Amino acid sequence: MTMSSTPTLMARHRAPYGDLAMALLVIASLVAIPYVVESRYLLGQVILALFYATIASQWNLLFGFAGVFSLAQMAIFGFGGYATAMLCVYFGWNIWPALPVGAVAAVVFSLLIGLACLRLAGVYVALLTLAIAQALYLLIVTDTECFRMVGSACRQFTGGAVGFARFGDFGTRALFRAKWLVGNYAIVSVLFGFTMLCTYGIVKSPIGLAFRALKDNPGYAVARGVNRFQSQLLVFGVSAFFTGLAGGFYAAHFQAISPGILSLSQLLFIIAATVVGGIGTFWGPLVGTVVLMVADEAMRETGEYRTLGLGLIITAAIILMPNGLIGRLGDVVGWARKRFAAKAPSLSATQ
Amino acid sequence: MSSVSPPHSILFTCDGVSRHFGSLKAVDCVSLVVEAGEILGIGGPNGAGKTTLFDVVTGLTAPTSGRFWFGDREITGLGADTICQAGVARTFQLNAAFDTMTVLENVLVAAHFGRHPRLFSGFRLGRATREAAYAALEFVGMTHKAHAIVRDLPVLDRKLLMIAGAVATNPRMIFLDEPVGGLTAGEIDVVMDLVRKLQKSGITIVLIEHVMRFLLQLSTRVIIMHHGQIIFEGKPEAVPEDQRVVETYLGAGATTRLKRFFRDKQDQQAADA
Repeated sequence: MTMSSTPTLMARHRAPYGDLAMALLVIASLVAIPYVVESRYLLGQVILALFYATIASQWNLLFGFAGVFSLAQMAIFGFGGYATAMLCVYFGWNIWPALPVGAVAAVVFSLLIGLACLRLAGVYVALLTLAIAQALYLLIVTDTECFRMVGSACRQFTGGAVGFARFGDFGTRALFRAKWLVGNYAIVSVLFGFTMLCTYGIVKSPIGLAFRALKDNPGYAVARGVNRFQSQLLVFGVSAFFTGLAGGFYAAHFQAISPGILSLSQLLFIIAATVVGGIGTFWGPLVGTVVLMVADEAMRETGEYRTLGLGLIITAAIILMPNGLIGRLGDVVGWARKRFAAKAPSLSATQ
Repeated sequence: MSSVSPPHSILFTCDGVSRHFGSLKAVDCVSLVVEAGEILGIGGPNGAGKTTLFDVVTGLTAPTSGRFWFGDREITGLGADTICQAGVARTFQLNAAFDTMTVLENVLVAAHFGRHPRLFSGFRLGRATREAAYAALEFVGMTHKAHAIVRDLPVLDRKLLMIAGAVATNPRMIFLDEPVGGLTAGEIDVVMDLVRKLQKSGITIVLIEHVMRFLLQLSTRVIIMHHGQIIFEGKPEAVPEDQRVVETYLGAGATTRLKRFFRDKQDQQAADA
């Protein structure tokens, strides 16, 4: 076989200008927001959106890139949050060391789920993971056994239906006083940015290539040397680390964690955000979260029609943009590029 | 056809391999050897167990019984990924590919994961990986389509891409499962040239094909399977002469055409001489 490398091809790696521009836009927005947004309520909603975007980006890594239809995403998020809170409550830890340990606990939990799902495909993964998530939720909610006394009140080991509260915070209240929310915003922004950066690195690396290959055609991927066992555990582990970490940050930000975050509606919001933004696209989950959160805010006054409105948006997105907003954007860019290339037959035509 | 390799250097051995699905004996105690450098053609009616045999020896399906070796190494029970990394690549009857990825990404997966075992998939594609991928695309003549999305490719390109993926794993042996199924006559010639080029580059080939012209012209040796068993093994010219093969597989019409084909070929060679 000739090993004459083709320099024209090698030189033509498409530079990720689009991603770079998007990243700059996101960073600029994140920096500008605390200067522009004065309402504490709105800033709180932005923080919430950052949490949702982080969780959605990891669900997208699992489903959009690796094709694992897991419905345990909120369970893993909750696991990380609960682990962090319980470390603080039961062992008196400071929140900061509890955060990474909580994330690792979520990874272990997720790896066990991943092992259980190894021989399953498609919808069966969804069924098993949903069952695990629901079991976790019910175990916590129905826990009535007295584990310790707080004053005269009896508290369960899992916190029961009430959950845990006031186990510590980021330390921003002591540091920034009245401006503590901006401090929290900065911390959550860094978490979000860190997660996105690592996810980008994974998606663009050979690991990401293996994930996508397994999603497209598992049998063919294995026949080309991809290790399914390793790749599947890797995606469960990596996504759980960032999801669990986000869970811990969520608990620390609100100084509380309760079984509500494990509910189905939270999970469906994450999935809807990813669908609207574009499943399997790097920026989709963020864009989808922003769109749904803004729409939700805009419809705040409409009361019960709010849910209906969200439903309509999701339905419209699925019908009109099967690949989400980012997918539609990609179509437009591709079309424009073609038009441009046709008008000016340049370098690319000679190759 | 002069054989470059020394005689009797056995590259692949199958010993009593069976695969049963319940009471169905899809592959029933098949033993065969493949010599280095040859093109072994496998034919036979639908359901004869040809693809199941491929699935078993390339690690996609576990054998019910039997053992098989690649060179001196026993590869029975190894995973498909490990067998691929050992140097045995395959293509599929259905046009398998990573549909949402580009042509280049398709071969990059094969070049990165298929050439040798990796403990960890790593964070970067090495230079050797890229070069192997580009070389594989060049080998099948698809360099100019490197950035096309595979979903949009016509059937010939998908077949070629699958071969490129196999080549990118740097194999010593390739199993081709119906490489020209569904192609036009002109396209079949393209693939035929490519298979010859594979053989010249030192890769041993086992292929399944229903297109008899392709199977008999390319193969140095032919096996015909029926009901999971080998019912014929020998030279391509001998295939239309075998009574059992004619009865179970070829039928009278095809047999006459094939006999005429080999007679014409003989006449041609006589005329050339």
